[in-house]
Parts: sequence; structure tokens; C-alpha cells
Amino acid sequence: MTGLDTGPVLSWFVPAVTALFLTAFTLYIVRVVRGPTVPDIVLAIDCLSYDLAVFIALLSLYYGTPFLIIGALLLSLWAYVFDVFVSKYLLKKGLGGEEP
Amino acid sequence: MTGAELIDQALLYTGIALVTIGAVYDVIAGVGMVRFPNFFVRLHAATIGAVGGAALPLVGVGLIALASSQLGPYRYGVCAVCVLTAAAILVTAPTGSHILAYAAYKSYSAPREPCVHDALRKRVEGGDEG
Repeated sequence: MTGLDTGPVLSWFVPAVTALFLTAFTLYIVRVVRGPTVPDIVLAIDCLSYDLAVFIALLSLYYGTPFLIIGALLLSLWAYVFDVFVSKYLLKKGLGGEEP
Repeated sequence: MTGAELIDQALLYTGIALVTIGAVYDVIAGVGMVRFPNFFVRLHAATIGAVGGAALPLVGVGLIALASSQLGPYRYGVCAVCVLTAAAILVTAPTGSHILAYAAYKSYSAPREPCVHDALRKRVEGGDEG
């Protein structure tokens, strides 16, 4: 299989889909800024990291450089580590059992 | 048009369709993330953003990369890393949001207020078996 030159298709497809991704980024950032509590902010940053991983993979196709794709894997694993650390911190902070 | 070119065209347009569907899922998840009233309700929007908005378009990007000749021999590696990232997101995103939801519930750090039925309260705060 020799492959196909997908550059002409990607040169209009990636900018078109970038508009949708930027809309989603803006909505997530609105929640990061406005989020009233810490779990809201962490959840929005998780979604932002996953979307950024997809966007980095698209950019790696668009520019034709295969080394950008490593960032996508690390970014998606970093979001999980962030979840675990923040939830450990929240559980330790709330051990006094205060009322809601 | 030979058979290999036909397979490449099919991979390219399937990948484009998957990425477009995933981007639409992302926008839907963003709207839900802004408009939902509560942290525990926003978990649903986060699940849409992780499974439909990240794992699905990553598989699509992998298919596009498999058909792209301008990446050279690296296209198999790009496809493998994309599918691996999608699998990692499918495993870690539900686990992470479950840990976060349990910690937020137990530490009272998110308001529970628009609440219809709270089945976890009995099990967390003692009492009889829920």
C-alpha cells in the first residue's frame, strides 16, 4: 500500500474542523474561569486536555510531522494523574466531616 | 483506480467523517459543561467530551494517517499512537471522573443541591445498608 497524498483534502478539512474545536475550547475555558468549586475546574481541565490531544493529532497530520503525536499520548495520561492527585487532596481535606 | 487506492480513499473519508462527528460531540459537551447546574450533572457532559469527543476522533485521525503518503513510513507509527491514545482515554477517563466524583461527594466540596434522589447518602454516612 503506497498511500494517498491527503494534503489537498486536509488543507481545507483541518481549518474547517478547527472552528468547531475552538468553539469547544472556548466553552470549556468559560467553565474553567467561572467554575464555582475545585471539582468543576478539574473536570473542565480534563475535557480540555482530551480535546487538546485530538487537536495535536490533527495538527500533526496537517503539518506532516509525525513527532507531534507523542504529545497527545502524554497529555491524555497527564489528565488522569491530575484527577487522582486532586481527589486525594480533596479527601484529605474533608476528613473532618463538616456539614454541607 | 486500483484496489489499494480505493482502500486509501475509504480510509480517508471514514476518518474525516469520524473527526467531524467527534468535533460536533465536543461542541455539545462544551454547551452542556456551561449550562448544566451542578458538578454531578456536569459529569455527564464530561463523559460525552471524553468518549465521543476525544476517543472517536482519535480513531478517525489514525485512519487518516494510515492513508497519508506524505508521512512516509511514519504513518503506521502515527496510527498506532492514535489508537493507543484512544484506548488510554477510554480506560482512564471514566476512572478519573469516578474518583473525582467520589472525592467531591465525600468531602462536600461540590454543592449537591438540584438533587432528585441521592442513593449514596445512606452508604457514605453510615446507617443501614443502602
